[in-house]
Amino acid sequence: MNKTIIAATFVSSVLSIQVSASVPDVSPKELQQTVPAAAQICVSCHGAQGQGLEGAGPKLAGLSSAYMAAQVKLFQSGNRQNPLMQPMAMMLQGDNIKIAADYFASQPVVEVGLHYRGDKVVIENPAEKLAYQGDWSRDLPACFSCHGPSAVGAELFPRLAGQQASYLKIQLEAWQKGTRKGDADNMMANVANKLTAVEIDQLAQYFASLK
Amino acid sequence: MNFQVKNILGAMVLIGLNTNALADELPDRQQALPSVQKQAEHLYLQSAALADIPAGEFGDKVRLGYQLFVNTQQLRDKHVGNELNCVNCHLNAGNKANASPLWGAYFAYPAYRKKNDKVNSFEERLQGCFTYSMNGKAPESGSKELVALSAYSYWLGMSGLMLQHNVAGPVPELSDSELVKGAKRDDFILPEAISSKMDQNALAQLPGRGYPAVPKAEQAYSPERGAKVYQAHCQSCHGDDGQGQMIAGIAALPPLWGPQSYNWGAGMHRVGTAADFIYENMPLGKSVQLTPQQAWDVSSYINSQERPQDPRFKGQVTDTQKQYHQHDGYYGKTISGQVLGSDSSANFPKK
Ligand code: HEC
Ligand code: HEC
Ligand code: HEC
Ligand code: HEC
Repeated sequence: MNKTIIAATFVSSVLSIQVSASVPDVSPKELQQTVPAAAQICVSCHGAQGQGLEGAGPKLAGLSSAYMAAQVKLFQSGNRQNPLMQPMAMMLQGDNIKIAADYFASQPVVEVGLHYRGDKVVIENPAEKLAYQGDWSRDLPACFSCHGPSAVGAELFPRLAGQQASYLKIQLEAWQKGTRKGDADNMMANVANKLTAVEIDQLAQYFASLK
Repeated sequence: MNFQVKNILGAMVLIGLNTNALADELPDRQQALPSVQKQAEHLYLQSAALADIPAGEFGDKVRLGYQLFVNTQQLRDKHVGNELNCVNCHLNAGNKANASPLWGAYFAYPAYRKKNDKVNSFEERLQGCFTYSMNGKAPESGSKELVALSAYSYWLGMSGLMLQHNVAGPVPELSDSELVKGAKRDDFILPEAISSKMDQNALAQLPGRGYPAVPKAEQAYSPERGAKVYQAHCQSCHGDDGQGQMIAGIAALPPLWGPQSYNWGAGMHRVGTAADFIYENMPLGKSVQLTPQQAWDVSSYINSQERPQDPRFKGQVTDTQKQYHQHDGYYGKTISGQVLGSDSSANFPKK
């Protein structure tokens, strides 16, 4: 427990520098007015509008409140492991989980052009092909089946469109290493485990480029 | 290329096709398929890649067939009355063995069907899935849509057979009127390398056709036990209310019951058929493998919920039940005080 608190204070003091550096247009005072108290500590890594800060924390805008609340609990239970985010999750308890999650879920995202299964018959880009057609010779369903058109996601199926490539890659690798768990019936683990390292790179780049 | 015209029994089949259509009776085209034994992987037909569909008019029909099959919602309100797409039940764009692949179906029609007592052409079989599985209004015989879906099915099957038997060259093109008939007819032309190895019956029972029969379970199926299986292994994708998950306006995860799913006349409403499908194909990507008992139980659970009316309904559930439901389904049965079919939603409703 001690360790957690130390880590949390360390992290927040390091990152309070980043707040002023990366979000110059929002003064700390304004932050206090628009961001609910429960979510204020989060903005140092995830941005005031949940837009994400490369290297510090992934984009949260565009994810549903239910999905984010579930993820916070997975960090708390150790099913998801990350030295920066786990201590933050421990600090968020009770109603505050939903308050913070609701806040980020209500933030705007850039609209992406929606593409459906069948829009293209022949797909050259290997990542786009996996996204829309899967590879059934490996029992690998299309990402589309669960993440939807242009991977905009809904409810417990997270949006991938416009997420940081580095983050997407780390997640797919985390499932392969067993450091991310807790998805129902291992449904996403089952997908991630079938991907090659090259495919993970390509998929991460592809979904990040959908903006 | 060497072609051989086959000539056994064809005339009879074709006469039946032309004379037996009953204009205003909705026949049952949803009879159980003969379940073909499950085979080792390497025996399944492997179709050519979509990139190999040729340029030109014929290729355009094949491509349109693919697009309609994976995004059938483009026909919503015209021919489709629910949120489903053909690909939801015929996985991998109708290409997956043991998920009722189109390449398995094409060589099995025209086929005599006992229940409507007539020979069904391939396009009539397609119409069946529009009327029942899609709760819609089937495109007319010879329509652009049925030609395209037939062309796509034919192309998957023929390209697969040609690859399997080392026949070089493009898939032979067929006219629209030939395409919609199906390939189980004596005037259907096959490259000799294929016809010398496989007769019509072998082609009509390609390994991987249909949904393989799930092994028998120890106990009789039970919707109560099925509800638990559903909560544990299906709900995360199909929703606690069975309505699936809409993403950006489409049912990426399809509904299993209710007004947006298949109707009471569809093959999937039979407990056995759905158990076969589920055991082989669900959960999607098979993150867990259900036991046969679980597959039977969960099938009975999803199929003892209300869904759109049987299109052959004439006003009395008991009549429809007597005439069309003498099989392992819940239509007309009482579940929690409610007679299933008595409160069914409409056929082919507008969005
Ligand atoms: C010290 C930086 C930091 C702070 C502060 C922080 N996070 Fe995070 N957060 C991260 C990192 C890094 C990840 C990615 C972890 C990983 O790779 O698994 C993450 C991941 C998440 C995720 C998962 C996103 C997804 O797509 O699955 C959620 C939800 C989340 N954070 C919410 C919060 C909330 C709410 C707060 C405030 C209570 C917060 N975070 C504070 C760094 C931070
Ligand atoms: C069977 C359904 C399913 C399929 C198919 C699927 N996903 Fe997922 N995916 C999920 C679910 C559910 C989650 C959320 C997991 C959780 O709750 O922890 C997820 C999460 C993810 C995440 C983490 C996102 C985040 O914000 O942390 C990535 C990355 C991802 N999926 C990539 C893919 C890719 C790439 C494909 C296609 C190759 C794919 N998924 C196919 C269900 C699926
Ligand atoms: C709700 C699931 C479902 C949907 C959606 C669906 N089908 Fe089917 N289809 C079935 C089932 C089940 C069978 C097998 C019928 C049986 O065994 O009684 C079948 C059989 C078929 C067959 C015959 C297969 C054979 O080997 O004889 C064809 C062809 C077909 N469907 C085409 C289509 C087309 C085209 C569409 C879209 C317009 C479609 N299906 C939509 C469930 C579905
Ligand atoms: C990981 C997500 C996932 C899980 C879990 C899952 N399914 Fe599905 N299911 C799908 C998807 C996606 C499709 C459509 C496939 C496609 O379009 O490629 C589907 C299709 C179906 C269909 C045919 C289409 C329809 O709407 O009727 C049935 C029936 C079905 N599933 C039943 C089940 C049952 C029963 C379970 C539990 C044993 C289950 N599924 C678990 C994702 C899932």
